[in-house]
Amino acid sequence: MNASRGPKAIVDWADLIGRVAARGDREAFKALFAHFAPRIKGFLIKTGSNADDAEEIAQSTMVAVWTKAGQFDPSTAGVAAWIFTIARNQRIDAARKAIREGRLSKEVVLDEEADPTLAADQIMSRVEDATRVAAAIERLSVEQSTVIRLSFIEERPHSEIAAVLGLPLGTVKSRIRLAMNRLRDLLDDAT
Amino acid sequence: MTISHHPPEDLLADFATGTLDEAERLVVGVHVAGCGRCRRFVRAVEQLAGASLDQAEPVAMGTDAFDAVMARIDRRPQDAPVVSEVAEIDPELADLPEMVKRCKIGKRRRVAPGISMRPIMLSGDGKSRAFLLRSEPGARMLEHTHSGNELTCVLKGSFSHLGGYYGPGDFDYGDDEVDHRPVVGDEGPCLCLVAMTGDLRMHGLLGRLISPFVRL
Repeated sequence: MNASRGPKAIVDWADLIGRVAARGDREAFKALFAHFAPRIKGFLIKTGSNADDAEEIAQSTMVAVWTKAGQFDPSTAGVAAWIFTIARNQRIDAARKAIREGRLSKEVVLDEEADPTLAADQIMSRVEDATRVAAAIERLSVEQSTVIRLSFIEERPHSEIAAVLGLPLGTVKSRIRLAMNRLRDLLDDAT
Repeated sequence: MTISHHPPEDLLADFATGTLDEAERLVVGVHVAGCGRCRRFVRAVEQLAGASLDQAEPVAMGTDAFDAVMARIDRRPQDAPVVSEVAEIDPELADLPEMVKRCKIGKRRRVAPGISMRPIMLSGDGKSRAFLLRSEPGARMLEHTHSGNELTCVLKGSFSHLGGYYGPGDFDYGDDEVDHRPVVGDEGPCLCLVAMTGDLRMHGLLGRLISPFVRL
């Protein structure tokens, strides 16, 4: 996805998560924290959180990275995507908690990710899914992945995307729609 | 389970990025859990979001953030067993998807002849409500349009309307331009999980006469 493939040292984040899971390796975790925590915070701010909330959610995301390290399976998810899903769920939980505290009512907190008992065929289908998803994203054009990211992930208004890409508003709308359909088609094709 | 009706892609993308409100997230989540095709779409958006996160401009964490995180890790209860609190086994809910079973579900109330609903108690962070809607075989729901969005996932039984046949796992998306007149299949009661924003607007004389009695 990144055009520049310089000789930059490649850190194997998945290996670091494996070390956290296997033996609570604090050095490995420190390296993960140094790289990901500021990016989680930056990403959350870019997508609408204020700085205090982003700091708190980034911290609780890193706590969850530690506690869930054993659930990470490099054959089914990329490290960044896995950390994204944790941050996303932490943000949802934080919003829920804020409301609950406002009402002083107690409810059972549900961990939507907890699925400790995956059957073997489910694991197989997860690996297959991951392969198909990776192949589809690979075949998506840069232009298409860019509009999906700007529109849905960074939640920029269409008018702003039009300005960023230097396109008329109507073109942006149809490009977003086309990109989504294309992603669907690529995923459906890969059977 | 053959699923032939899916959520629109933008709804799946909003599900993946965590921007749906609670009721909508639940209904889309139940469909996604049972639909490999939509699950892969959600995974794809998560991958793109992961790349966005990895390339986000870093913002410095607080000076003591790492120590604070390590302190939280060190004082967390060791292997606290995650007990899923199943209050009482409700026969109607016994064979429903996990995500629905984990919800707090309120008492049944009658909506119209042959139709009843049970509200799902959410934390209330959004504008939409979620409920289980049960319709008896052959029931014909009132002709209506929506003043908001309606997201439906069929759990048991089936219904049909202009858009086609909807069986277990199928997802129906109604916005304010859709005119619905669903008819429940005669194989048994139809149980749907519904998220709704706004109110139903009844059409025609019958609708106007009956709507004071229809409480959704």
